[in-house]
Amino acid sequence: MSVDSDDHCFSADEASTLASVLDEIIPPTGDGRLPGAGELGLASYIEQALRKTPELRPMIVQGLADLDEIARRRHAQRFVALSQQEKAALLNEQGFLFPLLFHIYVGYYQNARVLTALGLDPRPPHPKGYEMEPSDLTLLDTVRRRRKLYRDC
Amino acid sequence: MPEETVDVLIVGAGASGAALAWSLADTRMNILCLEQGDWMDPVKYPGMTDDWEARQLGDFALSPNARGRREDYPVNDTDSPIQTSMFNAVGGSTIMYAAHFPRFHPSDFKVRTLDGVADDWPLDYARLAPFYDINARMMGVSGLAGDPAYPPKEVPLPPVTLGKVGETLARGFNRLGWHWWPSDSAIVTQEYEGRAPCINAGTCLLGCAQGAKASTDITYWPAALRQGVRLKTRCRVREITVAGTGMADGVIYYDADGVERRQKAEVVVLACNGIGTPRLLLNSRSTLFPDGLANRSGLVGKHLMFHPYAMVTGIFDEPLESYKGPTGCCIMSQEFYETDRARGFVRGYSFEILRGFGPVSTALWGMQQGRMPWGADHHQAFGDLFDRTAGMVVICEDLPDSRNGVSLDPDLKDSDGIPAPKIAYRLSENSNRMLEHSVARAKEVLEASGAQETVAVAPLPFAGWHLMGTARMGSDPRTSVVNEWGRCHDVRNLFIVDGSIFVTAAAVNPTNTIQALALYVGETIKKNLANLFD
Repeated sequence: MSVDSDDHCFSADEASTLASVLDEIIPPTGDGRLPGAGELGLASYIEQALRKTPELRPMIVQGLADLDEIARRRHAQRFVALSQQEKAALLNEQGFLFPLLFHIYVGYYQNARVLTALGLDPRPPHPKGYEMEPSDLTLLDTVRRRRKLYRDC
Repeated sequence: MPEETVDVLIVGAGASGAALAWSLADTRMNILCLEQGDWMDPVKYPGMTDDWEARQLGDFALSPNARGRREDYPVNDTDSPIQTSMFNAVGGSTIMYAAHFPRFHPSDFKVRTLDGVADDWPLDYARLAPFYDINARMMGVSGLAGDPAYPPKEVPLPPVTLGKVGETLARGFNRLGWHWWPSDSAIVTQEYEGRAPCINAGTCLLGCAQGAKASTDITYWPAALRQGVRLKTRCRVREITVAGTGMADGVIYYDADGVERRQKAEVVVLACNGIGTPRLLLNSRSTLFPDGLANRSGLVGKHLMFHPYAMVTGIFDEPLESYKGPTGCCIMSQEFYETDRARGFVRGYSFEILRGFGPVSTALWGMQQGRMPWGADHHQAFGDLFDRTAGMVVICEDLPDSRNGVSLDPDLKDSDGIPAPKIAYRLSENSNRMLEHSVARAKEVLEASGAQETVAVAPLPFAGWHLMGTARMGSDPRTSVVNEWGRCHDVRNLFIVDGSIFVTAAAVNPTNTIQALALYVGETIKKNLANLFD
């Protein structure tokens, strides 16, 4: 465990385990259109996010350390060296995954490369906003013909 | 410096405090407003940053407890299925509201007479109508005249864009023959009074960096300040003080540095919302008012009403451009608004069509719903949801119940050490039946609109943004806290203008009515200045 440093809450081993976990959570698409979460440098985003939720940090750090420990015990290898199936099976057993998923999804879906691949402009909504087609208010024709719906009083 | 006594001291610079300040400004009285929050800087709103969606869960979270800003105060809402939402700043919760701006119906003021429940208001729709008109001009309301759900009313600006979401749902409503109409929205759709028009950014709940959405820091306040009203920020009022005569004589507050200060006043007006106002009254105990100020009826803090909400989301099989457009303003249906006892409940509800989710919200909503697996199937699952969701919230009328209310928490305090409010709230059987009915009808209309699947959440846990009824108005001092123009029965120079004074809740967003009432109270104060305390 290495939660003593303020700048990096992960040791080198834990950081490499995390990168491997990220690619299991959101792998790249087969056609290369969407990147995997591991190649986007999300580990540093997750470190930052965990600094804002210190109550979660020990659980995540411990969870990453546990992955390696169990991998060594069962397969005599580090987590990163396991097969994809072995990684998935191990991750499925881990309770720390849910809060980590949250941070991974947030980090992934606000990443410029991902947004561009989804066909979106990788920019904040302001100040440019979005163009929209004018409304078709003829849809209201039937509603306009209705009697009043409110009660007089 | 000698201690100054102001003519009118307003506590709170949100929706109602701003409207009242502007209303009284032309009297040229010495008017001061104290606000515990600060001016917001629109350039720093989340919509200007890449992580804007994540900030909905951080510094712009709906709950003050989640935000943890110094300007906010904590609310113990663990004893309620609905968590409170509010914001403290110049503009108050209008900074982060959706700006959905419907009026009450005429029947909403007559629920006892018409439906035999709760109480009638001591005023009616006709009395408030001119003040709704003024408010529409001051806030800049867009919409469309001719809605058969309302008496004829003034709408200064053309409606917000329906978009593919609005038109898709409109066709569904038409297929069922149900009412719908473009939403009255406090969002300017054209250049208006120096405000730039809406650009469909979809960030209404995060502050509007464009200034198209009407928050009172950019509507009423600039006009009130020009006329000489003074506004002091980062001033958190602890209690209202009382003279030996039983009249309010000022407040004790903490300034930005946490220093205790006193402000004397001839008239005190509370505009602190349906939780902040009873909290302040209950924190103002004295020999004359041992149970809290203006609380001889015992009703301060009682009858808290939220609106029980449901959120029903449809998943469609085509792109809807659903992340574009004002977040909560699109179209509205009031097909089930007026009472029909055959439905198994009294009173009714509104449907408000929402825009869809951005990428981050899509992933998180999908995760909550168990529809966003990790691993090889992730991208397919995301693709099935992103830009393919559209739905609605249902706003159910809440009826006053004396078991629901606001008290002081024995332990929880804000950053100045002032006791924080504690909520106790339960859904009534009537609300549960109404929610059930509304969810079934919402699914019906989503399916008629082409949704392949629907997902309902009811009640919506984070939807406690309408805070009403905790210092209600009435003509009888035994059964109400303020009279028909907002003056406390027990303290004749103390007024309340926020949602606390609502007698019932209607089934629409309350801000327009809160402000119309504040303008009405202001007008009545002006008419009665010569004998205000008689």
